[in-house]
Amino acid sequence: MDKLKIGIPRALNYYHYKDLWINFFKALDCDIIISPPTNKAIIKDGLKYANDEMCLSLKIYLGHVSYLKDRCDYILIPRIDNYGLSDQTCTNFLSLFDIVNNIFNVKILNYNIDYCHGENEISAFINMGKVLHKKRWDSIKAYQFASVKANKECKKKVLNSFHKLKSDQTKVLLIGHSYNLHDAYLGQSIIYLLESLGIEVIMSDGFDPKMTNKLASSLSPSLYFKYSKEAIGTIDIVRNNIDGIIFLTAFPCGPDSLVNELVFRKITLPYLNLVIDDIDSLTGIETRIESFVDIIEQKKQLIN
Amino acid sequence: MKNYYIGIDIGSISTKGVIIDDNSNILVSKYIWTEANPIKAVKDLLKDLKMGIPKDGQIKGIGTTGSARKLIGLMVDASIVKNEITAHAIGTLHYYPDVKTILEIGGQDSKIIIINNGIVSDYAMNTLCAAGTGAFLTSQAKRLGLSVEELGQMALSSKTPVKIAARCSVFAESDLIHKAQVGYNKEDIVAGLCRSVVINYLNNVGKGKRIEGPIVFQGGVSKNSGVVKYFKEILKQDIIVDENSHLMGAIGIALLAMQNKTSKTYDLNMIDIRFETKGFECQGCSNNCEILKIYRGQKLIDVWGNRCPKGLKEENMNI
Repeated sequence: MDKLKIGIPRALNYYHYKDLWINFFKALDCDIIISPPTNKAIIKDGLKYANDEMCLSLKIYLGHVSYLKDRCDYILIPRIDNYGLSDQTCTNFLSLFDIVNNIFNVKILNYNIDYCHGENEISAFINMGKVLHKKRWDSIKAYQFASVKANKECKKKVLNSFHKLKSDQTKVLLIGHSYNLHDAYLGQSIIYLLESLGIEVIMSDGFDPKMTNKLASSLSPSLYFKYSKEAIGTIDIVRNNIDGIIFLTAFPCGPDSLVNELVFRKITLPYLNLVIDDIDSLTGIETRIESFVDIIEQKKQLIN
Repeated sequence: MKNYYIGIDIGSISTKGVIIDDNSNILVSKYIWTEANPIKAVKDLLKDLKMGIPKDGQIKGIGTTGSARKLIGLMVDASIVKNEITAHAIGTLHYYPDVKTILEIGGQDSKIIIINNGIVSDYAMNTLCAAGTGAFLTSQAKRLGLSVEELGQMALSSKTPVKIAARCSVFAESDLIHKAQVGYNKEDIVAGLCRSVVINYLNNVGKGKRIEGPIVFQGGVSKNSGVVKYFKEILKQDIIVDENSHLMGAIGIALLAMQNKTSKTYDLNMIDIRFETKGFECQGCSNNCEILKIYRGQKLIDVWGNRCPKGLKEENMNI
């Protein structure tokens, strides 16, 4: 029998859980196909399926699903509701399964997380294994294997971030959702711009999310968006080592519009709020980034 | 020989140029419409500026700023190319060394620059939306059958400005039409429009910023006395509008060109050289980057817009 082919869209939660997912399916002896880095064709396709109210990141996600739809046996679509009462996620993640199920005629492998109703990480993996006709024990072993691998990757990432913090260059913390920061079309073109201006870019997801999640309470004790907490908690770790903060938001992100506003009022570092939508021209973004870099470098000179 | 420096600010709507001498005095200045053709606008501008250079003068530096700064910087072989935030701040600080806040509303951008101890400490720019900028005022003036220059004076004569939705220019426009159809006076509508520009600016760009005096207001819209009046009224502070408020970016970049002297002398002959751009879509991958090739005469001098090196290859350049 041929191996099962699992498709994973390279968008949204892929960037949070890629090491867990990929290693889990590897351990279960499945083939994995990941959609290519976002390009214009994918965005165009996504826009075709999306409605106007969706955020750019979700539109892009649908483009990735569309790329995979005839190329695999199952497409992994998460439904992530919450990690407990004080760790909620954006409603997009809650509705993702239903959106894809309604738009596409594909076989979906659901990764369901809902701690408030007893659906935790391990049960999510066991349930996926069940759909693929894998034994419960095999799934548990595969999950454990994947966790170890994912932890290793996380440690590597953290070491790399701390290494960057020691750099003599001007350093900027780029705060945003992982799926925007690492997206080939959105975040990467902005990071490229910053690096070409001689800036060391530190990413808000470059640290241990468990740690940053807790640290976020220094900015807001009552915030309950899990991914936002993990992003802004980073400020506490790096605040004495960086020269400025750039907030990267995909229009119209609900959690960001609230959380960024909250953070602006509580930080003393210079910051820039970049809101991006489906844009082909980077000129406007260039102006904003160049001016911001000018400001933080002038400030740096003044201090030295 | 006396040294002179040229500053060019190429905005979306207007192109501004100044020549200054070693003592930062303005020798000549010029303000023309860009009309979506920055290359032609700058050629016309330089032709005019050239007349103003005395026989014993030489140009020792050219600076460019504004949204077409890169293109024009390449065309005139500028000694310095800088973004408009820095240029505006430098220009304003030259005339008003203790300025704390700069409000700037241009053709498609609006910004606020906060200055602390003579350096820029914070700034904000409009995000995706161009509501409440000069372009919006121009289109609404046309709708009302007025020229944009008339708006300011007309607004001053109104005692009861109508309320116009300020959040979005699409809503503002339909609001404006409704008010006109219901029968409000033109003066009151125009005043409402100016007021909505101010409210929109303060809600979007100025949001969360501490606006302290001295406040300098500049950019094309600062010439609209109606907008100035409502800024004063709403901020309850005095607003300084310099007679050269529309030229501040150009002055700033000219000052920067003076500070960064080059050994080069410019002859301004480039206005006679054919300068062209050709746009095409790269076929290298499915990103299809929009690439712009820039020619001086027959020679390809630069390529922009590629997100990877594939965009530089000849075989991908077929349209």
